[in-house]
Amino acid sequence: MKLKDIIGSLSLNVLTNLDDKEVTGVYISDMLSDVMSNAKAGNLWVTIQTHKNIVAAANLIDISAVIVTQGTRVPEETIDLANRYNVIIISTNDSTFALSGKLYQIGIK
Amino acid sequence: MDKTKCGHQWEMVNTRSGFIITEICHKCSLITTYFSSEEHPPLEEYRDGEHFWNVMSSSQSVQFDLRCRLCKTQVSFDELSALMLCTSCKKDCKVFELLERGQGHSVWVYVAFGFKPYKDKRQLTGEKLGILEDYFNMKRKSTKSSIKIVSHELIYDEDSCMGGFIMDEFLLSLDAPANK
Repeated sequence: MKLKDIIGSLSLNVLTNLDDKEVTGVYISDMLSDVMSNAKAGNLWVTIQTHKNIVAAANLIDISAVIVTQGTRVPEETIDLANRYNVIIISTNDSTFALSGKLYQIGIK
Repeated sequence: MDKTKCGHQWEMVNTRSGFIITEICHKCSLITTYFSSEEHPPLEEYRDGEHFWNVMSSSQSVQFDLRCRLCKTQVSFDELSALMLCTSCKKDCKVFELLERGQGHSVWVYVAFGFKPYKDKRQLTGEKLGILEDYFNMKRKSTKSSIKIVSHELIYDEDSCMGGFIMDEFLLSLDAPANK
């Protein structure tokens, strides 16, 4: 499924520049070291982390997009760095649990 | 299969969870870092020979090996403490120079850190840095960019470096709900 289709289906808020990408699955974690060792290229990374270091992990693994849940405010510093490295950051007011259910419902498994 | 001729396809295996512990000796100010897989990392001061070690920080982390799917060669990365994305904070840093050189081709530079004190502990070899770089580039789907992994020895001033560390320390947001 394409990232833009997911964003449209779930009314997600895009915080950075947006390139359409193929999404290969979802990885949920709030630990960067866990993402580095277990997430796969093309995964959506669902987290509550907003520190700029998420960009380093997302870029390394070639994550399709980072989705920040719970409506957590993402600092400008993180958004600026993400734009520089072509990392897409999206936000939602949903909890991680609620978002996971919605992603599953639209066919991301 | 002849391992010297294998076009390795690396996979991450044998991942071990633990903590990167940073300690300082209050007598000589020497700093040491190491990986601990103990359930509760040490918090109290202890003596080791001439040194009196005190914990400065601890961050959750993982250690891992890489194994080739084809020839089964397995390489340990016990010498790796963390990876850091160069964010070009200092123009006179050699890592920044590499980043600038690669930007036309979208090559992003990561720095691999070893454990301190660097002169006393085994550090990642150039060959291992190359294997790590191959592994992460093989995982990438994007053909528009690639990554390069270099040694921490290239950093101009590690203490003032502002790069993006892939480590689980100081990460939880302290924002009050009103700021959301």
